Amino acid sequence: MMTTKSHGKHGDFAIEAKGLVKRFKSGKAYVEVLKKVDFDARHGDLTMVMGPSGSGKSTLIAALSGLLRPEEGRVDTLDVDDLWKLSSGKIDKFRLDHCGFIFQGFNLFPALTALQQVETVLKFQGLTPAAAKKRATLALEEVGLKPRLHQRPSALSGGEKQRVAIARALAKDPQILFADEPTSALDGENGQIVIRLLRRAASEHGAAVICVTHDPRLEEWADRVIKIEDGIIIDDQRRTPNPNATLASHH
Amino acid sequence: MSLALSTLLYEWRRYMAAVMALALSGLLVLGMAGVFIGIGKGFTATIERSSADIIIMQPGAKSLIGGPAGVPRRFIPLAYNHPEVVEVQPLDGAGGSFQSVRNVDPTKSVAERARAGAPKQNFVQTSIIDTRPGSVTIPTDYSPELVEALRQPYTVAIDETAMRSLGVKLGDKALYNGQTVTVAAILRGYPNMMQQSIVMSRDTLRMVGQADTGPRVGPLMVKLSDPTRAEVVAEQLNQQGDGQWKAWTRQDLADANQSAMFEQGPLIIILGGVTVVGIIIGVAITWQTLRGAIMANIKEFASLRALGVGMASLRRIVVELSFWVGVVGVAAAIGLTWLVAVFAGTQGVLIALQPQALIAVGGGLISIAMISGLLSLGVLKNSQPADLLR
Repeated sequence: MMTTKSHGKHGDFAIEAKGLVKRFKSGKAYVEVLKKVDFDARHGDLTMVMGPSGSGKSTLIAALSGLLRPEEGRVDTLDVDDLWKLSSGKIDKFRLDHCGFIFQGFNLFPALTALQQVETVLKFQGLTPAAAKKRATLALEEVGLKPRLHQRPSALSGGEKQRVAIARALAKDPQILFADEPTSALDGENGQIVIRLLRRAASEHGAAVICVTHDPRLEEWADRVIKIEDGIIIDDQRRTPNPNATLASHH
Repeated sequence: MSLALSTLLYEWRRYMAAVMALALSGLLVLGMAGVFIGIGKGFTATIERSSADIIIMQPGAKSLIGGPAGVPRRFIPLAYNHPEVVEVQPLDGAGGSFQSVRNVDPTKSVAERARAGAPKQNFVQTSIIDTRPGSVTIPTDYSPELVEALRQPYTVAIDETAMRSLGVKLGDKALYNGQTVTVAAILRGYPNMMQQSIVMSRDTLRMVGQADTGPRVGPLMVKLSDPTRAEVVAEQLNQQGDGQWKAWTRQDLADANQSAMFEQGPLIIILGGVTVVGIIIGVAITWQTLRGAIMANIKEFASLRALGVGMASLRRIVVELSFWVGVVGVAAAIGLTWLVAVFAGTQGVLIALQPQALIAVGGGLISIAMISGLLSLGVLKNSQPADLLR
């Protein structure tokens, strides 16, 4: 009996992956993007995956999150043994219940207000409209968008849009939060707000936050920095995060 | 409000093509059906607005005119046998040539005379009324003044839509089968797109030598002491007639008349063809529009997929969206058709919008939209969340 809704303790493994191999066909040849990668991430950690473009970092989180099936290897996550043995419907359900996603693009529906963006996902999770509204409001307040609840994306700035996307991911109270270049479309100030929100999701909510980026300045906030190059993890260091670091490029 | 509905309302421009395609398909079918029903109504107006509670015709006849509707004259006293019958009059009618009178210099050439508006000859259908006040053959919307006007010998009434094609106006003289008649009244609401018709009194018809005087007469118009008992009395008259005749209530005959029109081959072919064209246009445009609109939001759909919303849920959103597109399309179709009908009405053309037709076409349009939605489900395959990672 290990299925409880409460998050794992800080330091417990949220994801363990072994021997991940992913190949893409390129002309007649296959390009190996992940070469037997072992990976783990813990609750309460902000794990940063860094590397140049084409290094396989995005492919890695796609394989970890059940979005892209690897050719070899296994992913054990939370109470699921070998995620890729599940049917695709079960994988969707697993993501619905436990995973949050933040992308570089914000991918918000133009027709929906900030509140509705967040509510929509919660309703798919099976919450009643009233409960969804309450939780969506809380999540948006947490990212500092209380005054913008009823604005549509066209009326929001880039930073505000990304915060709506973060609220959409956090409202589910995910145990694992995947972020793919969450700050690269933002200026320094907004980037700092976003990385602080991710930091808080790890420290206060105990989520395992896995953040893919090539922005070295974000390292300041990380508990752990994993460097990947050509499909191989070349460096894996724990560090002490500095939650008060600044990203702003001036001064 | 659901995601589908909000998207449709907010991004209405994107869906406009689909809505317009549906509306125009609907207009095509509704308008065509409306015109045909309108033509039919032109024929049945005489029935629907007749003062007769019951009409007795030859068994098998479904329409007052054209069909073998007439009966032997001896049926008139037989109909009076029923105690509730207060008046029986045979409908009479004929046809003939109708020519306006105008003075044009006869020495001019044919072309010049035509340019000057020389009289043309038209074939018209003639129907009659009895001019005794309250007679069963007088339509319910005829005013006493109109009846009074037709009571004068050699007078006729024509519909306002026939004035131009017959080349006469109120007070003009004209030749009916070579005899001079006067246009004494203009009718409103009796348009007939197939053949112009004129109304005269039974006495005038007799004077121009076309009244029925032999053993056979036209359909019998029957007035009852209590019009609300028409159905019961019609039933009893049919028993009494023992198969020699068929007694119709006014409404039953009007309905039968209309459906008889839709049994005609060419109408079915035209309406069927228009419907098929409407469906093809509707599906093709709606499908492509929906595809495009979904593709425009594909990243948002993919992000929902990443957050764990299953493909089945996304499909439901698309189907719901297409349903709403259909609903808006139906509203637009009805609005457009109504506008066209109003415009046609000002031109004296009757386009009848019947509730059954609206429901059938509305249901059809929603089905078209939903089929298009189902066809465009395929694009959801492009909602690959892995594509959002880079």
